[in-house]
Amino acid sequence: MLSIIANDIHVEFPIYDHRMRSLKYTFGLGQLAKGFNRFAPRSLNVGGQIGVGEAGRVVIKALDGVTFEMHEGDRVGLLGHNGSGKTTLLRAIAGIYEPVRGSIHARGRVVPLFDLQLGMDLDATGIENIWMRGKLLGLSTQQIQASLDDVADFTELGEYLEMPIRTYSMGMMLRLAFAISTAITPEILVLDEMIGAGDAAFIARADLRLKDFLARTGILVIASHSIPMLRQWCNKGMLLERGKLIAYGALDEIIGRHEKLVGQ
Amino acid sequence: MFALSSRQVNAALDDLGAGLRSWRLSQFLAWQDIKQRYRRSTLGPIWLTLSFGIQMLTMGILSSFLFSSPIEKSMPYVCAGMLLWFLITQIINDGAALFITTSRYITQIKCPLTVFLMQVLWRNVFVAAHNVTIYLIVAASLVIIPGPSILLWPFGVALVIICLAWMALVTAVVSARYRDVPVMIQNVLNILFWFTPLIYFPEQLGSKRFLADYNPFAHMIALIREPLLGATPTLNDWLIVLAMSLIGWTGTFLFFARFRARIAYWL
Repeated sequence: MLSIIANDIHVEFPIYDHRMRSLKYTFGLGQLAKGFNRFAPRSLNVGGQIGVGEAGRVVIKALDGVTFEMHEGDRVGLLGHNGSGKTTLLRAIAGIYEPVRGSIHARGRVVPLFDLQLGMDLDATGIENIWMRGKLLGLSTQQIQASLDDVADFTELGEYLEMPIRTYSMGMMLRLAFAISTAITPEILVLDEMIGAGDAAFIARADLRLKDFLARTGILVIASHSIPMLRQWCNKGMLLERGKLIAYGALDEIIGRHEKLVGQ
Repeated sequence: MFALSSRQVNAALDDLGAGLRSWRLSQFLAWQDIKQRYRRSTLGPIWLTLSFGIQMLTMGILSSFLFSSPIEKSMPYVCAGMLLWFLITQIINDGAALFITTSRYITQIKCPLTVFLMQVLWRNVFVAAHNVTIYLIVAASLVIIPGPSILLWPFGVALVIICLAWMALVTAVVSARYRDVPVMIQNVLNILFWFTPLIYFPEQLGSKRFLADYNPFAHMIALIREPLLGATPTLNDWLIVLAMSLIGWTGTFLFFARFRARIAYWL
């Protein structure tokens, strides 16, 4: 059984500007950090809480004691203001940010799909980029080989697949990126906004492929501001506010609470 | 500051293990790097070989002239030495930039950090493999026959790369946090070039011979260069590089275990 279990996780970002990140800061200029707190009361809803962490350093509390469980079949939509911790939570689930306190365990392989074009090289051909993306998504050589026809079929790029992708239009590029990324079968899929393949003529087929892709997925966690999209794909909702989990449960209920919060 | 839990140690071991197991991925990424660098150029990666060849021709002749050693002695010596010097400095400099240049990957996909270290090692081994051609041409035209010590040569190469791996990893972690470090390292290596017997022979240092004897890089280079030139590395060379690898990796591992999880936060 696939699952994600988070127990009181905290994620805090130390803030280094170019000055703080250099060695001379470490050797005695640490006092500059004090006094940052005076801005705190002005930002009521946006962003994590700003505080002073260990060693007097300014930290942003991106996640502040978040606890939840997700199980196979869950389709969870994350809701909240900009900077409420949605993306950070997605990255914590993916294991990119390991919490400073608390624990998070995912049973099953987590696939984050944040930037579909990560690793793509404009001067490389479509085929070469399929290999690059496939490898980054953790596919084996045989799996990539097997998906080549499927991707070629779906994208209808034909002989363009042998051309450097800088010759592609934006739509063609998106199509390619979308096709490769949806060729996998993720156990746990983590998305920051819904993925898509752009141009209008293509949308019906892309939707079909997306539906199939998400149906193969064991657990889906997606952050989005689009309520209709969440209603279409999710069965649960989670509301975050300044790094804290406010509510987690049936989607309709969470959307209701979110609207109340935004309405304020 | 340096409390280390068994959880951190296990996570670091997992990272190293997973990184080594996915050697195909790092090899693939490294080869893509090289292809990308020379894309749309007619000669492609052959440029690596060519530019190294041109540099060696100049440096070999200049060294023979400056330090009045016969050209048939200085040319292969400089060529083999510089081949290794480029390998060493490039691995360490790439190490310093390691997590900074791959930050987009590190913050977007979950991948063992060791994969990127391996990518640096592969990439530079590929480059060195291109440069080796020049040495082979020089050696063949001067009929240099390697001695029996060439049998141990693969072990020497492996040991030096293992040693460079920890140096790259430790600089990578420190550089992710302190962005002055890559520039500092570059400067230190530039100075070290003059203190390492590469374009002159250690004997030519005369009473300042200790400069070479206490230079760890000189021993790493000797370990690989001497067998190629038909000479034998000293037991001292072996022991020093072996000790550096063992002590270096122990320290680096503990350091990596302590800060591994923080790296994504620093980027």
